[in-house]
Amino acid sequence: MNRLRSLFLIIILLFFSSWLGVVVYSYLELGHFKSVAGSDGILPPYYSGQAILGARVYAASGCMTCHTQQIRQLDVTHSDIDRKWGTRPSVALDYLRDQTAFLGKRRMGPDLSNVGSRLTDPIWYYHHLYEPDQVTPGSIMPSYRYLFHMQKIQGELSAQAIPLTGPHAPPPGYEVVPTKDAQDLVAYLLSLKHDYTLPEVSAETPSAP
Amino acid sequence: MNNATTLSKIEPASYLSEPLPLDASKRLEIDRSLSVPILFLMRSSFFSFSLALFLISICAVKLVFPSFLDGISFLTYGRLFPVAYDLFIYGWAIPLGFALILWLMARLSATPLSHIRILTAAAHLWNSALFLGSLAVLAGYGTSVIFLEYPNWASFLLFVSFLLMGLWVLLLTQERKERALYVSEWYLLTALCSFPWIYGTANLMLTWGKIQGSAQGPIQCWYAGSLMQFWLTPIALGTIYYLIPKITGVKIYSYYLALFGFFSLLLFSGWNGLSSLIGGAIPAWMMSAGVVTNIMLVLPMIAVVINFYWMFQESEKLILHQSPALRFVAAGIISYVIATVLSLVSSFPCFNAILNFTDYLSGTFLLFFLGFFGMTLFGGLYYFIPRLTGISWSSSKLIQFHFWLSVVGISLMVSSMVLGGMIEGVAFNDPVITFTNILSYTLPWNVLVTLSWFLLLLGFFCFMRLLVTMRWEMIEEKLPMPR
Repeated sequence: MNRLRSLFLIIILLFFSSWLGVVVYSYLELGHFKSVAGSDGILPPYYSGQAILGARVYAASGCMTCHTQQIRQLDVTHSDIDRKWGTRPSVALDYLRDQTAFLGKRRMGPDLSNVGSRLTDPIWYYHHLYEPDQVTPGSIMPSYRYLFHMQKIQGELSAQAIPLTGPHAPPPGYEVVPTKDAQDLVAYLLSLKHDYTLPEVSAETPSAP
Repeated sequence: MNNATTLSKIEPASYLSEPLPLDASKRLEIDRSLSVPILFLMRSSFFSFSLALFLISICAVKLVFPSFLDGISFLTYGRLFPVAYDLFIYGWAIPLGFALILWLMARLSATPLSHIRILTAAAHLWNSALFLGSLAVLAGYGTSVIFLEYPNWASFLLFVSFLLMGLWVLLLTQERKERALYVSEWYLLTALCSFPWIYGTANLMLTWGKIQGSAQGPIQCWYAGSLMQFWLTPIALGTIYYLIPKITGVKIYSYYLALFGFFSLLLFSGWNGLSSLIGGAIPAWMMSAGVVTNIMLVLPMIAVVINFYWMFQESEKLILHQSPALRFVAAGIISYVIATVLSLVSSFPCFNAILNFTDYLSGTFLLFFLGFFGMTLFGGLYYFIPRLTGISWSSSKLIQFHFWLSVVGISLMVSSMVLGGMIEGVAFNDPVITFTNILSYTLPWNVLVTLSWFLLLLGFFCFMRLLVTMRWEMIEEKLPMPR
């Protein structure tokens, strides 16, 4: 029985070294970061209620399967910043307000850390979610038509109606409008702007060329 | 009590992988006691595996024809893909690994199982949680944490049922009649004890309760890395350490090498997941720890491979040609070597800058998962199933088809992903090349990957065909049907 017991002991000791180092350290250190006071309010900024709901739609749709949300450090690669996906590398503090940090592992679409600064027109987002290959020819993003519904035009065209002309255009007298989920999702995407300056970032990393 | 001395005082018997042949009636008693829960776990794992292969094939087609089945919420790529991977892991790799643990531990400790009802009930609970959890992800209740997509109630049920099953095997080790502890058992016990801990911790911090977002990244990566190194690797290695000596009759070449391989694996595992955050938002020391340990994981690989190599060298060549199990195991070992080297290359920061976020890493994972773990476990199944049911395989031709379709499928898939990923990565690093251009470079490789998924599906059908024949024979011979 001794041998079994000593085997268990060694397994547990070695196993716990990585558990303590990665999990417990992360929880105690990174997990207790505090927000900082910036020149224009508390950083990182709070998400709006609608954006928080939108993050759930983002999770439910599995956007993270193809889109990352991390800009890599400059001593590793410049390509993320050269592609204008961000103005500075991501830091742990950027994820402070996220319920789930959608880091992502695979890029089959562009990084979304700062998509809200790059693209500011909600209608563009609706159109792109509805028929991606019409908005961005060559895109392999699937259509998210299930986040929209078609309705009869009552009087004037709705402000949020998508200007569809291609194969998915609605019949005359009808319009395609986003559902609540699509509106929340776009509110979340529009709020993805990690372009504020954090004290630790400006101190540690050189600014992008 | 001094650990080092007690461990080194191992009597020669433990150079063998199993106690000296048990007498036939004893062996039959053990096998009888096992067949119901084990065959149940195996059957459900085969079902999940075929479902996962089917779903991932749809995903692969979607990458080539994005409009295929699009616009349907529960068939959208972002839901289908995680469900396919979760079925691979929680539907196939874990129940199948557990079935092998159960069998090997009972055989190695020469103890028949008792009270199998609790075990079977826990396995049913596992399957229900898996099924409902997968439906929930398809319906949009997924968490979007890699490998932990199931909603919290489903993952909690999975956790509880694994604890029930796992405690069961631990009791078995307490009742053991055989005193020596074999190399296989080191690995299997490691997998058995660490899985609930890593699964519990990761869920506790990421889905059951959510810690602050700034700390989630490293823990997500820790979980993915630990799942590979604390479940997939030990189970595959434990199976190989059992099968080679058992089939060839050759002793484990070097006990100390085995010991070194085992402890170095334990030491570096768990940290290695951090290497997927190279350049990411983590402290610099964590990044270095990830890089170093991912490189050091070559050591346990070399240690076990030297051991296996010498065992193969000393065995009769005829056995190697005749045993389907050993052929699958050999393919598994080769995959292990290549996957470790590929992962080593991608963990150098200069290469990682190019290869990260591309198919290179997916290809490495799939080589590890399907090539190393999958092929090794299929080898184990070709050895175990006839012994559990008492019926031999009906067609060696179908076994060959299964083997070659899998080998060609996996090689084609991994080479296209690795090559495609390199091209993709180089293009990523040139900001002049637009994103849609990069996608057009990857298209031909995606076609090849789709083709290889279909080859794998075809190979698995051959295996299922063999199992169906076995069932018919069971009915004809009026053997007690394992329920």
